Amino acid sequence: MNIHPIMDNIDQKLLENLLEDTSFINWAKKKNQNDINYWNSWISNNESKIETIDLAKSIVIGINFNKTELPNDTVEKELNKVLTTIDATFAIKKHKQTKKNILSYIPYGIAAVLAIIFVVLVSNNNATITHETAFGEIINLTLPDGTSVVLNGNSFITYSKQNPRNVTLVGEAYFKVKPIPSTKAKFWVTTNDLKVEVYGTKFHVNTRDKKTDVVLDEGSIHLVLKNGVTKKINPGEFVSFSKETEKITHTKVSKKNPYKLWRNGTYIFNNQTLKTVMKNIESTYGLPIYFKEKNLEQIIISGGIPNQNIEICLKAIEKSAGIKLIKRNDSIVISTQ
Amino acid sequence: MEFSPEKSLWFLFVKGDLNAFSGLFKHFYPMLHNYGVKISGNKELTEDCLQNFFVYLFENKNKLENVLNVKSYLYISFRRYLFKHIKKEKKHLSYDDLFESNKDFVFSAEEIHIQQENFLIKNKTLTTLINSLSTREREAIYLKYYSLLTTKEISEVMDITYQSVQNTLQKAFVKLRNKSESKALQHILNP
Repeated sequence: MNIHPIMDNIDQKLLENLLEDTSFINWAKKKNQNDINYWNSWISNNESKIETIDLAKSIVIGINFNKTELPNDTVEKELNKVLTTIDATFAIKKHKQTKKNILSYIPYGIAAVLAIIFVVLVSNNNATITHETAFGEIINLTLPDGTSVVLNGNSFITYSKQNPRNVTLVGEAYFKVKPIPSTKAKFWVTTNDLKVEVYGTKFHVNTRDKKTDVVLDEGSIHLVLKNGVTKKINPGEFVSFSKETEKITHTKVSKKNPYKLWRNGTYIFNNQTLKTVMKNIESTYGLPIYFKEKNLEQIIISGGIPNQNIEICLKAIEKSAGIKLIKRNDSIVISTQ
Repeated sequence: MEFSPEKSLWFLFVKGDLNAFSGLFKHFYPMLHNYGVKISGNKELTEDCLQNFFVYLFENKNKLENVLNVKSYLYISFRRYLFKHIKKEKKHLSYDDLFESNKDFVFSAEEIHIQQENFLIKNKTLTTLINSLSTREREAIYLKYYSLLTTKEISEVMDITYQSVQNTLQKAFVKLRNKSESKALQHILNP
């Protein structure tokens, strides 16, 4: 039985190899000039394989879907429902527990103490340390190697005790990495999209909005993007990369280029729309933002905004944008003055 | 040890951290929602199941310490959870009937954006072609190109072998290409 006559011309083994071959994938996606040249010439020498190549190319390129995003407030609403249910079941369990006799806990107590001792003994060297901030909270940290980190609200970093110079970041932070000249030990920051590799320098990393932004203040750093590309950044430069869309931006921070960065508790916006500015506030304080009139989103803002205190922060935005911000318990509403 | 942000969040969630749980929820809810609606064709049912599913995850967090791949784990277990629920609602139907009757994985022309110069066809035509594929082929296409899962992850989610995923995708594209009129191959040499 053969329903698909075209299958006859397909070299199965070659097809499978092509689908796993990074260089071939680059050719199909027109990504790397060397790979493009290589495969173009390979194909002209292997014309009998053209059906296989063509099928492999189709599979690599695939189907491009337009993703429909659920609105943030829908997700937030559903989350609150789940949290309420969890709260309720917790309360019931606690209630049941209090009825038990205290004595019945002794075996558990002994077990717990033994377990803790065990864990301490076994994992003393590879324990994971985590620091996290609540919405609107900013903390100053000094890592065991002397590197200092300012962690913005709604963010967290984690590293293993064994290797404090290799941290993972979700959210936003400013790093002042302490150089270790004697060993030239590197320092890494890993995010969902990329890895920052440095010796000793000052830089800012932001992983909000499904992408990672890196701005370098001093020294030099290397980025290893999740798609395998490496990049060197010089002081005063800004790189943004998203694993999901593979979109990359690399520009100089200058008066002309629009940019936003965060440094020691201050947001600095250069020619950014009010929409972008408010997005930052939203992810730092966890308060959803509503624009009463859509055209207000496009107001352009430049300047520094302190974000340690939400009241001061909102006042500053009100003044520079000439609008009115009303902070409610669970949201911020923006309207004309 | 290599830490991804997803894994770090998972690690904290398993220890009972509600912020980490909320972070995971916000990250994965939209994609699971989309997947659930594609499977069941029913928004309310999907949302009910997602509610219960996330509560279930929180209540059973102690058992979830050893999850290696967070994304595929959530796809696998949510898929199972949803099927169990659909089956309960329609007891008289067999598993296959269920899939056929639910009109699952039907795509609209607005959802699809053509990048395939190989095909030289319109969005609408491509959508019709995709919708005429078998359910299994459509689910594989969805998981690969919409959810961006790897072949290995897809095999775990659909509970079929790695080789079957590859074959399914190949067959799907052979069908798409046969059905689309253009068999012209010249373009391949001048990309």
